[in-house]
Amino acid sequence: MSTPIAESPNTPAEATDVTFSVRNLWKVFGKNADKVVGTDLEKADRETITAQTGATVAVRDVSFDVRPGEIFVVMGLSGSGKSTLIRCLTRLIEPTSGRILLDGEDVEQAGEQRLRELRRRKVAMVFQHFGLLPNRKIIDNVAYGLEIRGVGRAERYERAREMIEMVGLGGQENSRPGQLSGGMQQRVGLARALAVDPQVLLFDEPFSALDPLIRRDMQDEVLRLQKELDKTAVFITHDLQEALKLGDRIAIMRDGELVQVGTPEEVVGRPANAYVADFTSDVARTTVLTARWLMREAFPEEETDGPSVEPGTVLSQVLPLLASSVAPVRVEENGELLGFVGRDDVLRAIAEDQLEEEGAFEAIVEDNAEDLPDAAAEDGHGETAPTGNGG
Amino acid sequence: MTQPARTPSGAATGDGEGVWRRSWFQALVVLAVLVAGYWVSRTAGHPSWAGGFPTGIGDSFMAWLDGIYAWIVQNRNDSPLFLYFFNYVSVGLGSAVVLINQALDALTWVGVTALGVLSAWRAAGWRVALLVLATFGVFALTGLWNASMTTLALIITSVFIALLFGLPLGILAGRSERFHRRLRPALDFMQIMPAFAYLLPFVLLFGIGNPAAAVITAVYALPPVVRITALALREVDRGAIEATTSLGSTPWQVLTKVQLPLAKRTILLGINQTIMLAVSMVVIASVIGAGGLGDAIFQALSKVNVGQAFQAGLAIVMLAIAMDRVTGAVGNGAHTPRVPERLRLPVLGGGLLAVLATVVIGRSFDLGGWPRNWAVDIAAPVNAVNDAIESAVGGATSAMGTWTLEWVLAPLSQVLTGSPWWLVVLVAAALGWIFGGVRVAVLSAGSFVLVGLLGVWDNAMDTLSQVLVASLLTLALGVVLGVLMSRNDVFATILRPVLDAMQTLPPFVYLIPAVALFGIGRVPALAAAVIFALPPVIRLVNDGIRGVPAGAVEAADSQGSTKWQMLTKVQLPLARGSLLLAVNQGIILVLSMVVMGALVGAGSLGFDVVFGLAQNQLGLGLASGLAIVGLGLFLDRLTQGRRASHA
Repeated sequence: MSTPIAESPNTPAEATDVTFSVRNLWKVFGKNADKVVGTDLEKADRETITAQTGATVAVRDVSFDVRPGEIFVVMGLSGSGKSTLIRCLTRLIEPTSGRILLDGEDVEQAGEQRLRELRRRKVAMVFQHFGLLPNRKIIDNVAYGLEIRGVGRAERYERAREMIEMVGLGGQENSRPGQLSGGMQQRVGLARALAVDPQVLLFDEPFSALDPLIRRDMQDEVLRLQKELDKTAVFITHDLQEALKLGDRIAIMRDGELVQVGTPEEVVGRPANAYVADFTSDVARTTVLTARWLMREAFPEEETDGPSVEPGTVLSQVLPLLASSVAPVRVEENGELLGFVGRDDVLRAIAEDQLEEEGAFEAIVEDNAEDLPDAAAEDGHGETAPTGNGG
Repeated sequence: MTQPARTPSGAATGDGEGVWRRSWFQALVVLAVLVAGYWVSRTAGHPSWAGGFPTGIGDSFMAWLDGIYAWIVQNRNDSPLFLYFFNYVSVGLGSAVVLINQALDALTWVGVTALGVLSAWRAAGWRVALLVLATFGVFALTGLWNASMTTLALIITSVFIALLFGLPLGILAGRSERFHRRLRPALDFMQIMPAFAYLLPFVLLFGIGNPAAAVITAVYALPPVVRITALALREVDRGAIEATTSLGSTPWQVLTKVQLPLAKRTILLGINQTIMLAVSMVVIASVIGAGGLGDAIFQALSKVNVGQAFQAGLAIVMLAIAMDRVTGAVGNGAHTPRVPERLRLPVLGGGLLAVLATVVIGRSFDLGGWPRNWAVDIAAPVNAVNDAIESAVGGATSAMGTWTLEWVLAPLSQVLTGSPWWLVVLVAAALGWIFGGVRVAVLSAGSFVLVGLLGVWDNAMDTLSQVLVASLLTLALGVVLGVLMSRNDVFATILRPVLDAMQTLPPFVYLIPAVALFGIGRVPALAAAVIFALPPVIRLVNDGIRGVPAGAVEAADSQGSTKWQMLTKVQLPLARGSLLLAVNQGIILVLSMVVMGALVGAGSLGFDVVFGLAQNQLGLGLASGLAIVGLGLFLDRLTQGRRASHA
């Protein structure tokens, strides 16, 4: 399990085109932290390690790349080490071992001065509990990052006002954090992070403390800002729906390890193991899987004059088209034909969804193995998963 | 003997374990052994193997200390350490006190009053400003204006020193866990040490008078500001620190822009406590020659002039309450008048101008301190009232006093001093083991042996007997009143401000009513100790019971508990932590007061400290002071129970 998880095969590792490159990152808490990595204990499970050394493994041999402009979501349950992981990226928590490259620069090697410089200019973070200063006005909270790097008052206030406007809090400049609702406070947190114009935004479960409706608003806000400002983001969450909504790619973490890294479709469609499958079993596949995911070559003698869709269309939007047409839909991108999706394909995808939910999927698959030749390969334990295949 | 049988949940003890496994039963057995030992020793005619602690070592120790003292006195003006350090500090502090005193004088009494009242208004609103005005009024009308100004100057000097060292120490301790761990035992020790025990070592270094008083007061007042500053920094929202660190703040920026601003309120409360401790110590320091209000009480008490003591006591009480309200209001900011930001400077300027004008006017009329002949003498009427009270209830109180002395204090003291010393040491160790485990047992035995080695065994046992009696009384009264307070909201509302006021008063003033009622001797000291230690005990019991989770009470109610069952089976067991703390605090406070009772004739260790000071017998004084510390350590650790061993 400790082998680094490779990127999806269709993404060659181009060293220059990576914002964050994390390799073999470990974080072990406790007195004997240095007695775990590189020893025989390295491969033991968490409980054994704690029993033998008293140390707690929070992050275990994690490797991944974050590409410029993408939202990279790390998802896991509480205690999976995801919050520790994101803090290691700017050494708010000092990693035990491993390498972190930010734009090719080794973060581990950075001196105190340089590290502060990185935090002040390149990477900004948004926190679950906001971390605002209750004694300062909103505008001074937002301007904090500029203030500590010595930007003059007039200039930093101008920038802060812009940011406050951008997150939709115009007019609240002189309020104090205590006077705002949780959602508004998190907007302040977001504005504070954006004010320093960082290249990368780190989100540590930023919306977990918010009510569901406000959470949805804030998620839309992040997507909007992401599109407008073209930032790279690492986003931690324990909410799969949130991960699927925001993530360009999702890393699923369990007991400190990355179990699977992939696009939302890959995670839902080809879970790397039973844990991920179980995790994603509640997801309505029709809202995640896209035409691209299901498309295939045309069968011989099949009609090919169905309606056409973009490859990124999710199944739930393909369904009405199929309902009104006997022919499979054509998947086209910029006028180029990529493949077809027929009623059977969609039905199968939905069936997997329904049956899995009832826990009867395996049995049915066996019964219908001949009818559904692909099903076995696509169940939760499929060999064809694009990830987890080592090196 | 069996393993100390205290289970984590006090309520669950018993049931199938038998009564002999309970710690109170074991303690009773141990005490019975002590009494039996005393009886055996007495019937055997107190043979030398079963008597008090041999005094040989103690005597030579005192002689050795006296030698040191003689050396210091001889070399005070030659030794470079004194010449270039202590004497400088001493002179510097002395002149600081004098300077502040002169400055207050130069402001004239009208100027000081205007300054005090205006700053009180700005910091704490008009109610407190009126209180401050009343305080200055009392200073003036009692004819104690000059003494009050000296006390004020002493307080300012010592608080300044305490903050000068305390704030940085607190900040360091707040930022570094390692530093905090090292500092904590020292602070603990300083806080259980009775004020009286502080006096001698400093006299040794700084001589008698205001400089020594300022240093002692500063040292005595130091712990709260260090502790609370450290705590305040630690309690700053970790999220805020992490967030600002993630934006690239330097450690200095985190401290000045995040930690200190967010911890400001709490730190100010720590400063408030430090000031209050300074107020109480400045009064006690009159014993080593500090001037001011404390001296006035000291003189009056030694002449048993209740009226005069009352006057000075009133001035101190007003001073303490006013100081507490002003600095407390700065801390919680509740009543600070809202002045719009743009008006702040004009208000400040206007206030300064007003003060300046008052001073100029005052000086042009050649005013200085309050003229003495304008004073209203309330000493005579108070004395008359006191005499009237005495003739009315004097018989009753003196009978009560005699009874307590004859039937409680004297026998107990006899058991402790008359038993073989090694038996007393063993009993102390056994009690330590029962209530706190092996470490406390060793420490208890150690403190008793130390007390013996110091050569003040008999006096220490006498003091201990007074402490035990006063503590039992305090705890009995405190638990009853605390329970009543927790069950009756009306009573609580009435009692709370009274307790507040009582807790702000310097311990010294508690001696005054005690003397008025019981005259001179051990009983008034005992009474003063009980009154002094009662408020925190009542408060802790009340808080503990009120802090019991409502769910538990509701559940017990739903099963049909009577009020008594609720109290004994749910509330008291669940409030155990607070109760233990109440016992601990009560006993420590009683000890510090009993020792101070020497000033009203309680004798024993406290008297030796005062006598040692007065007669330049450093050996006796210091040995007694150390013995007080030993007793304090024993009582503290014994009543801290398992908490200490967990820490």
